[in-house]
Amino acid sequence: MRVDPNLSLILSVGMQGTEQALNTSIQQLASGQRVAVPSDDPYAAAANLRSLAASSNVDRYTQNGDAALSQAQMADSALSNVISELTQAVTLGTRGADGTMNSADRASIAAQVQSVLSGVVSQANVKSNGVGLFSGTASVTDAFVADSTSPDGYTYQGNSGVNQTTIGDGTQVSTNIPGDQIFINPNGNVLGSLTQLVTALQSGTTSDIADATAAVSSAITNVSQQRVVYAGTVNQINEQESYLSQETISLTSQQQALTGIDTATAITNLTQAQTAHSAVLAAAAKVLPTSLLDYLK
Amino acid sequence: MVGLNGTLSIASEALAAQYAGLEVANNNIANANTPGYSRQIVSLSSAASLQNGVSVDEGVTYNGYTSVRDTVLNLAINAKTSDQASLTAQNTALTQVNTAFSGTTSGIGASISTLFSDLSALSTSPSDPSARQAVLTDANQLADAFHQGAAALSSAANSANQQVTSTVAQINQLTQQIASLNGQLASVTGGQDGGALEDQRDSLTTQLAQLVGISSTQTESSPTLTTTNGSPLVVGSTAYALQVTTASDGTAHVLDAQGNDITGKFTGGTLGGAITVRDSTLPGLSQQLDALASQFATAMNNAQASGYDASGTPGTAMFNLPTDSSSDAAGISVALTSGTGIAVSSDGSGNSSGNLQALLAVQTSALSSGANPTDSYANLVDNIGSAGSQVSTNLTATTASLQQLTTQQSSESGVSIDEETTNLIRYQQAYTAAAKVISTLTDLYTVLMNMTTGAL
Repeated sequence: MRVDPNLSLILSVGMQGTEQALNTSIQQLASGQRVAVPSDDPYAAAANLRSLAASSNVDRYTQNGDAALSQAQMADSALSNVISELTQAVTLGTRGADGTMNSADRASIAAQVQSVLSGVVSQANVKSNGVGLFSGTASVTDAFVADSTSPDGYTYQGNSGVNQTTIGDGTQVSTNIPGDQIFINPNGNVLGSLTQLVTALQSGTTSDIADATAAVSSAITNVSQQRVVYAGTVNQINEQESYLSQETISLTSQQQALTGIDTATAITNLTQAQTAHSAVLAAAAKVLPTSLLDYLK
Repeated sequence: MVGLNGTLSIASEALAAQYAGLEVANNNIANANTPGYSRQIVSLSSAASLQNGVSVDEGVTYNGYTSVRDTVLNLAINAKTSDQASLTAQNTALTQVNTAFSGTTSGIGASISTLFSDLSALSTSPSDPSARQAVLTDANQLADAFHQGAAALSSAANSANQQVTSTVAQINQLTQQIASLNGQLASVTGGQDGGALEDQRDSLTTQLAQLVGISSTQTESSPTLTTTNGSPLVVGSTAYALQVTTASDGTAHVLDAQGNDITGKFTGGTLGGAITVRDSTLPGLSQQLDALASQFATAMNNAQASGYDASGTPGTAMFNLPTDSSSDAAGISVALTSGTGIAVSSDGSGNSSGNLQALLAVQTSALSSGANPTDSYANLVDNIGSAGSQVSTNLTATTASLQQLTTQQSSESGVSIDEETTNLIRYQQAYTAAAKVISTLTDLYTVLMNMTTGAL
């Protein structure tokens, strides 16, 4: 039984193999990736793509939450100002209903209530990036414009549309409350009651002033209820954001586990590949030059 | 007893026989590195005859030399060579495709994610022009990613196609050479070994096996090579050329000598591998990519139609699919020219984002292929990876197996310098000894001659 006398071919195949392993391990160490192309590990490559898509969604949910949060906080702050203004109007109205007031005094109080009304309207027309917070989904310049023909004194130019934004898989929050629901709601009409109070103070009838002041108090109740909605939205977004930041971490770990390689493993692979390659080279150096002719003289 | 003359003739025959051994050893050493060369050994036998019922030795007979080769092993090597070459051709194409689809932060999957992410941003600022423009840019980027994917697949198919043409030309060259060698070998008289000529023919046959899977039948009178499905390549000293024609879709088809289309019948060799990858592996992947492009575009267009754009008019198509024969993935384009065309609104009002749900639902709803766009793309990448990894694993195993067979062949037929050196010494010593015998016999002649002259 002869053995293959041609060692150089076997050795060169062996050297190619160890060199290939060496190259692969260097590449893995340099890139930190075990899976460079899909054929390295088809299942892991596909699962990694799905995980990356989920990460992209989580990033988007976080950003949506931030935007919705900022809008909700701005709207809530406007409503807080509105309540302060309305509270001041109640104080003015109570004073105006006092029988000791004369018409000049009432006229002065009426002017102050008028200025409260203007302040409230400018809050109702507040905008974020040029878009009204209380216009529904209509794109109009102002949510409320003065209209002497309207009993409320103002006409609502917006609509009752509500936008929603997604802050989680299957989780959405509303991003706005329509202005008519807050400011001209029949259950507590902010603009209507203030207009009514101004008219009553100008007319001087004490019972009218008292009725108007009571209407303004109802309006305060309505606005407070609407603020609860915004507070709820803010809470929901904050809770969701802390869940999302955990999700980001776990998705990143998942991706690392699927296609990444940790430094310790990569270095071990590299060392093994280097050792194997050196061994083949040493064997070749020992074996190749020897032949019978060296020994015959 | 053969007498002095008989002994002299035995010695001179011995000289010739040992010299033949030296010649063969010399030839082997000269061809130590010749690829495909099978070492030769001399055939010496002891000559004897029967005289009056007694066996009489008559020295050595030189019977010629034979090459040490194992034809069965050669057949196995040819078959394995065909397998390896076929897998190599497939591996080259699939490696190219795998690299093209290896992107994770770029490519179709990433572009789909970015598109839906920027669409979702419109929920809190539906009328922001730069936010709308971002979505349009993303749609264009996705179309580009589809183009690149389609281009990678068609480029690999084109390379395979060119390989078909060039391989057939090489096959025809080889079959000519083999046929002419068959002609020369046919004149070698019966029983004799073909020697180096036969080695050459075996080597050419292995080269042919690398190009296309073959089967060979070896009868002395007409050695026959055919493709594995039986189309003749070489019969005796006649070569049958294959022809290449271009079909209407631009692909190269292979015809046998009678003009029959045998493209689908090749197995093995570079030709078989190139045809497999061009006609079955890559088209399967292209179909999946095209299905994803067309179903995705249709779903987005339908979602557009259920809403209103920034001017309050009903939404129009976001993507155009090609109407000509070009593939959907290669020809998909964005139909909208401005971000205002994105149908975000559900009722025509300028700040509504009510239709976004319909648009975003495309990301999570199953397309008609059964999976949502992200999963469909992940499945495509899985298939590309699996095709590549299967071929690459088989190639590694086949290469190792071929290496084993080649080593075995080399053990049988390879020239060992050490062995030939030993043979040189052996035959040289025997030659020297035979020459010494002749010289001794010459002295004996001299003694004999001197016996009958002078000193008596």
